[in-house]
Amino acid sequence: MRPFKYTNAKDVPSALKLAAGNPNARFLAGGTNLLDLMKEDVERPDELIDITRLGLTQIKATGSGGISIGGLGRNTDAANHPLVRQHYPLLSQAILAGASGQIRNMATNGGNLLQRTRCPYFYDVAMPCNKREPGSGCGAMEGINRMHAIFGWSEKCIAVFPSDMAVALAALDAVVKITNASGEERVVDFADFHRLPGDMPEKDTNLSHGDLITSIEIPKNNLADHSYYLKVRDRASYAFALVSVAAAFEMKGNLISKVRIAMGGVAHKPWRAMKAEQMLIGKEPTEANFKLAANAEMADAKPLEHNKFKVELGSRSIVRALQMALNGGKS
Amino acid sequence: MKDKNTNVGSPVSRIDGILKVTGKADYSTDHPVKDPAYAVIFKSTIAAGKIRNIDSVAAEKSPGVLAVITHKNAPKLNTKGGIRGGAMLQSADVLFFGQHIGVVVAETFEQARHAADLVKVEYDQKEAKIDFEKLHRNGVKPKDKEDEKRGDVKVALENAAFKVEETYATPIYHHHPLEPHATIAEWQGENLILYNSAQIVNGAQNAAASTLNLKPENVRIVSPYIGGGFGSKGGQWGNLVLAAVAAKMVKRPVKLALARQQMFNSVGLRQRNYQKVSLAATKDGKLTALVHETATHAAIQDEFVEPCGDCSKIMYDTPNSLITYRVTPMNLILPTYTRGPGKSTGSFALESAMDELAYKIKMDPIEFRLKNEPEKDPSNGKPWSSRKVVECLKEGAKAFGWEKRKMEPMQNVQGNYWVGYGVACGTYPAHQRDSSAIIKLNREGSNVTAIIELAAADLGTGTYTILAQTAADALDLPINKITVRIGDSDLPPAAGSVGSVGATSYANVVNDACMKITDELIARSGKQFFARPTAAQLMVSEKIANIQTRADSKPMESAEQYSSHSFNANFAEVWVNQSTGMVRVKRFLAVTGAGKILNPKTARSQIFGGNVWGIGMALTEESVVDPRFGHFVTRSFADYHVPSNLDIGEMEAIFIKEDDKLANKLGIKGLGEVGIVGVSAAVANAVFNATGKRIRELPILPDKLL
Ligand SMILES: Cc1cc2nc3c(=O)[nH]c(=O)nc-3n(C[C@H](O)[C@H](O)[C@H](O)COP(=O)(O)OP(=O)(O)OC[C@H]3O[C@@H](n4cnc5c(N)ncnc54)[C@H](O)[C@@H]3O)c2cc1C
Repeated sequence: MRPFKYTNAKDVPSALKLAAGNPNARFLAGGTNLLDLMKEDVERPDELIDITRLGLTQIKATGSGGISIGGLGRNTDAANHPLVRQHYPLLSQAILAGASGQIRNMATNGGNLLQRTRCPYFYDVAMPCNKREPGSGCGAMEGINRMHAIFGWSEKCIAVFPSDMAVALAALDAVVKITNASGEERVVDFADFHRLPGDMPEKDTNLSHGDLITSIEIPKNNLADHSYYLKVRDRASYAFALVSVAAAFEMKGNLISKVRIAMGGVAHKPWRAMKAEQMLIGKEPTEANFKLAANAEMADAKPLEHNKFKVELGSRSIVRALQMALNGGKS
Repeated sequence: MKDKNTNVGSPVSRIDGILKVTGKADYSTDHPVKDPAYAVIFKSTIAAGKIRNIDSVAAEKSPGVLAVITHKNAPKLNTKGGIRGGAMLQSADVLFFGQHIGVVVAETFEQARHAADLVKVEYDQKEAKIDFEKLHRNGVKPKDKEDEKRGDVKVALENAAFKVEETYATPIYHHHPLEPHATIAEWQGENLILYNSAQIVNGAQNAAASTLNLKPENVRIVSPYIGGGFGSKGGQWGNLVLAAVAAKMVKRPVKLALARQQMFNSVGLRQRNYQKVSLAATKDGKLTALVHETATHAAIQDEFVEPCGDCSKIMYDTPNSLITYRVTPMNLILPTYTRGPGKSTGSFALESAMDELAYKIKMDPIEFRLKNEPEKDPSNGKPWSSRKVVECLKEGAKAFGWEKRKMEPMQNVQGNYWVGYGVACGTYPAHQRDSSAIIKLNREGSNVTAIIELAAADLGTGTYTILAQTAADALDLPINKITVRIGDSDLPPAAGSVGSVGATSYANVVNDACMKITDELIARSGKQFFARPTAAQLMVSEKIANIQTRADSKPMESAEQYSSHSFNANFAEVWVNQSTGMVRVKRFLAVTGAGKILNPKTARSQIFGGNVWGIGMALTEESVVDPRFGHFVTRSFADYHVPSNLDIGEMEAIFIKEDDKLANKLGIKGLGEVGIVGVSAAVANAVFNATGKRIRELPILPDKLL
């Protein structure tokens, strides 16, 4: 870990100003990812701007019937908030499926969206990694890639984005509110927040230096009755997803009128299963229809040497998550 | 008046428990020393070759740095001194990825760690031997293991009514005790004090002395509390002597602690094994042949082979048997003893094969085992000192509800889950080793207290407590009058807490010391007694203020005539998610015959600990090596998965009543190791019973069951 300067921002303007003044500074939120990466010498900021005293922790209903979740609120609080539990149980389940109780108590909502990949070649500075050191090559491509992407990867990078929370947010059409270094606010659709690796795997998101996540908003929906977050992992708890599925739909009569499916553990960003969604609109929620949709989505997968199983697992997980959603989350 | 002799056998809580939960028990680097410097090790990033150049200029200039030690300036050490795995900065050669190649010493830990990142190393790389899948075929006979043959397995296999011939694979496992390896080295003139966790206190003393070219009496190991070891603190590794070297060079006490990530390639490992097991049986389920062939790997410079065939040598009655080993040197750190060495992995292969064969014969796997129960030790013809496999199986079956198990897989469906039951047996040898102890009795008025001293180890398992219990009963004193001092090489030499010999060796010598001091007090009184008085009574009646004596205990000679082992039967109920392949162990029961149980509470914890690791072996644990680089891809606890709480269901431990006086005076057989043996096979067999899928390559990850 390199020596660094620690500064304490007392409000949003001062945080933005501090960040604008130093291109090598980083915001410090819960620190559960950033400090870890600094100890590994992967992240090398020379200044940490502590933003945990800025406020921005509120969870409240928006005027349009949705919900706003503070960027600096803790994951635990978001998962357990009555509004979230009642109207967006999918988000609550996804957060609780991640990490451990202790980590969720520290982790913030903004930090969660900006956590970096868990690719072991990224984490080990003795290994090549284009994300960590552009141009050094991808260690995982010809290496051990059981945990890696099956959708949207590039020759440069096959890493997956590890957040569970983000998968639910993708399914719920969330937007991220950002204030930039000069104090201007903007709103980014969740689909445009994270990036595919392409030629610039070093860039995980479309944020720029000094951009501060102030809140996350989810629009009103009627998905709460039929939603489920399914996470398949190598142990029962405290492991990143092999594959996860956030599934939710709305019924009109006995037909599906709206459906949202997003996947984790399969791509460099939360993967919206648009093909499967389209196939399910106007259909009955039967196992046969779920399977057709799931298989259609997974037909486009491009697995690597060690993760071929993710295609079958992904398909089964979509079906299972939809079934669970149909039964209101009970098996 | 209280009942006599009731401490041994009672569930006494750990007498050091309060110290531990209040943070007052000092582990290695907790010991207060004056003005310590901090050392951080840096490691090779290639698996084979030579260091061409180490550029440490930036590190040396970095704030707080006191020294950068590499092979270029390290003192010459005796590499045959008993420190395991090399990696002591004695040459430019690199033999595995992650070999220690240098140490930075600084005023603070943070300064040392940062400076270690600044060192730049250039190598001349050689092609490394890493790909076990390819290399294992060229394995050779290990130096110390001949093929062991009885009868003619070939003919028996050819003529078998039923047979199984399968290969079972287990990956590399790491010990990962909660307390990573850490050392404080402090020189006092010619004398060296090493605060360093050691499962074998005197072994650590001798290895350190010999390696550093010192006399053992100039080296003191202080290791009162150990945060687990599982074999990795049995032998000692480079960190111990590098701390001493660093302390000498900077002329200050030095603290050196390994980071968790460094533990993967610093302190040995359990090697990867391919085990081929061939079993033959008659129509009615009598075994006629048992072949257990192990292919494994060792280090380039040194050999260690865990005895995977050991269980197969003694578990079942068969006229024909063959046990072999083939080993391949590889550019990985030297393997070493790891909980249930050979037996935990070996039992996975043997007990899976037994289950496969029982299924082929369409015989209940318990009945199949009972049918092949050997009357004597098949490997040497000796009678058992005790063997309660039959009782373990029968009592276990009753307690577990085995009768509910269906012979055919996929018959028990609960919602979206397949439910299966599995059984597997295990065993581990029981031995007593030479140990000495001093007992000191002190009296103030009528208050008599005792101090027990020996260089024993407590890995967290309960040594302090069982020795206090043993002494309390042998002296007929309340347990709170007993002080136990262990974990210091200045105390009388004792066996290690390894290979399940600790409890047996320590308790016997403590008991002997208590008997001896009572005898001495009787002799000193010059009186004849109708009933044997207690030591405390004699101290009072003879007005003795203090007295001490020393006992030196050896195993009983008569024990040689018997084959002594602990045995168990393990029962698992698993639920397998039909959609995702995720496995949950809902219930686990271990029934163990391990001689006299000194303390059912600590014994139960020992068994649960072994069971949990065994469940981890079955379902989650796996270290993956990238054959291109030779590094562990699973290099942190985020990737190397030990079971989480949620992975462990209901646990139960039952002990079969045993008091094996043929094995040793106190009838103890030890249970540190046996708790992990047979566990992974019980889980794998349950997975087969649930799903019809036989997984022969651990761990049983979800993708293997899709
Ligand atoms: C052992 C372990 C297991 C885990 N398992 C899981 C899991 O199963 N599923 C899962 O989803 N996650 C898991 N996590 C990850 C965890 O969710 C993240 O570490 C956490 O959400 C990050 O939040 P933080 O506040 O601690 O971020 P920090 O570490 O403080 O920050 C992360 C990054 O975000 C930036 N940042 C933080 N807040 C803002 C903001 N408001 N605006 C702009 N930039 C900001 C920081 O500068 C930094 O670059 C695990 C973590 C650990 C350590």
